[in-house]
Amino acid sequence: MARVTTQDFSQASTLSIDNPQLQRALRRVGAGFDAERLAAVEEVTPQAWEEWRDQAQNIKAHTLAHLDYYLEMLHDNVIKSGGKVHFARDAAQANDIVAGLARSRDVKVAVKSKSMVSEELDLNPVLEASGVRVYETDLGEYIIQMAGETPSHIIAPALHKTKEDVAGLFTENLGLPHTDDIPTMARAARETLRDRFFEADMGISGANFLVAETGSLAIVSNEGNGRFCTSAPRIHVGIAGMEKVIPSLQDLALFLRLLPRSATGQRLTSYVSLISGPRREDDEDGPEEFHLVLVDNGRSRLLADEELREALHCIRCGACLNVCPVYRKVGGHAYGWVYPGPIGAVVTPVLTGLKQAKDLPYASTLCGACRDACPVKINIPRMLLELRGKLAEGTATERKAAGMTESILARGYARIMGGPMLLSLVHRAGRTLQKPLGWAPFVSLSKTKGMFERIQVPPLSRWTRSRDLPTLPSRTFHEIWRKGQARKRGGSD
Amino acid sequence: MAVPVGVPKEEFLQSVRQALGRDKSPPEPGYAPLQERLADLEAQAAEVRRRLAENSAALVEKLAWAAGRSGWEVNRAAGYEEALEHIASVASSRGVTSVVRSDQPVFDDLSVDAALEAQGLTVTTVAQDEKRSRESLRQEMATAGMSITGADYAVAETGSVALAARQGVSRLVSLAPPVHLVLVRPKDIVETLDDLFLLRRLEYHSQGGDMGSCLNFVTGPSRTGDIEQTLVVGVHGPKEVHLVLLP
Repeated sequence: MARVTTQDFSQASTLSIDNPQLQRALRRVGAGFDAERLAAVEEVTPQAWEEWRDQAQNIKAHTLAHLDYYLEMLHDNVIKSGGKVHFARDAAQANDIVAGLARSRDVKVAVKSKSMVSEELDLNPVLEASGVRVYETDLGEYIIQMAGETPSHIIAPALHKTKEDVAGLFTENLGLPHTDDIPTMARAARETLRDRFFEADMGISGANFLVAETGSLAIVSNEGNGRFCTSAPRIHVGIAGMEKVIPSLQDLALFLRLLPRSATGQRLTSYVSLISGPRREDDEDGPEEFHLVLVDNGRSRLLADEELREALHCIRCGACLNVCPVYRKVGGHAYGWVYPGPIGAVVTPVLTGLKQAKDLPYASTLCGACRDACPVKINIPRMLLELRGKLAEGTATERKAAGMTESILARGYARIMGGPMLLSLVHRAGRTLQKPLGWAPFVSLSKTKGMFERIQVPPLSRWTRSRDLPTLPSRTFHEIWRKGQARKRGGSD
Repeated sequence: MAVPVGVPKEEFLQSVRQALGRDKSPPEPGYAPLQERLADLEAQAAEVRRRLAENSAALVEKLAWAAGRSGWEVNRAAGYEEALEHIASVASSRGVTSVVRSDQPVFDDLSVDAALEAQGLTVTTVAQDEKRSRESLRQEMATAGMSITGADYAVAETGSVALAARQGVSRLVSLAPPVHLVLVRPKDIVETLDDLFLLRRLEYHSQGGDMGSCLNFVTGPSRTGDIEQTLVVGVHGPKEVHLVLLP
């Protein structure tokens, strides 16, 4: 499985914010993808869009509630069309299945079209270890494969790279004359990868949708590499998270309206391929074998949690990233795993471990922009709160340990706040005690702000590391009020 | 060496059931589109065909508009002669010397081969026979300057053309050459994706459940925005796509 660095969120996001190149790239996300999406919604009318979203939400909810039933239907229909279905409990199993297919069929070269699940599984190193040369063929993936990096956006994996970065990579890896002209670089990728498509023994793809009724795998793409990967090599392996299934071919019309519009604002992508099994006997081309690998890898944990199941509705359009004020500042890599942005903040903690990813549910202002942009109406803020709740409650043992000090503190606080007498007493004591504190060498006090800016002794040092601590005022509101009332009474008499 | 097989199907499905806390029972009530019988699909398809026939002229307009917006070069031929002239001029103005084409009914009405060969071009039909193997056809497709196909469906809603892979209709013929030209007859046009999928489902269920190996939708030229979100046309697929609307 792909390396998890969710524990570094806070540090990584600080670095991202200080990186001007990344900030420039992230500004394009709003001006580009999101503006296009909004124009597309406007064109179909917001009313019609709402109806589509409702329908899609209902279809996804129904399918997931009966997921085993639709997976079985899908399985039976893939078999009927001459394909094979493999079930993988986790990343290691999925990788073993694909590497095993490659070994047993003497695969030397594999070409891949963009697949987030294969990023999740970290399939490429496993294939390479069994002697297979693997080429990513989506231009963005091709670039980050050369750079040895991971995608930073669901639909634009090399978003964080400038054209100068790409020029450097192309010169270094492909031995091409240096140019940062974007069309020239795209043409260079076409020419180099064309040979790979034709020499490859295996094509590996993801799936945007799996149609249970017909046993079909749908791939939505713009470059045409997805079509090459599934047409030219003698073996096609499709890898998909088990939540990708939809019941009927009729449903595909709706999802094909929602996905491209939400991703890039297109009415439809340049290509949609609906693949059902290997080539038939009379076909002129196409793979001799078709394998579908269905992956759980933690998804059943999301499925089992009724509060979080909705996260599996996701169709990976990236719209929630494009509108998120946090993603638009910190970028994709800061999230520490394959799925960034608001949806990643929900999915990643459950698939990789909540404790390590404890910052992710808080990497949100709960502004709700993600929920409004989501084509299948996933209520992401609700689930982020749910995860925060889980973190606050902790495990049973943590609750017990935290209980001791916390409950003493909380009981003391309740006692002080419970009546005016004790509160005023504590307040006066605090006022007296903070006076010498203002002169202490380990404290910096701003008189103009009335704030302690830094206190270098614990436990207050932790507080002042990221914010100021207000001083206790010389008079409380209660005291001012009482004085005012007394003056008023004095004046009117 | 034994090939790893993952988890047996039943075990996998059982773990899904366990996560859902449910047994094997099918959805109740059943999912509406999957409850439809062949007769229901036939009735709906008849309705769709009637609507398409009634709106034929408007659909041609709609398709031409949507296709143009998606990046197709749209040509509306007044007659077959004019269409042939247009095809020849596209080929010659691009300096194309060899053309590959599919084997579809539209070529029975339109003698494309003769028109192009008269200009000195070579035309190869991508269909295997004693002389032409899969491998040699693949070579032809890899080197051809242009391809010509019909459309199994043209979708007015999206400006798309759909091609079902089968004998005479290769997957790569519409993908590998840098220029792809599609001949669309009025009867190929459907209004929406829903129409197309309904007709496809009817075919699927009435043929005992064979979808064919691959149905490709093409909506404009190949494109990418992967470097600095700058649009570039013509990455792995054709850079230029032409839609010729036949009368």
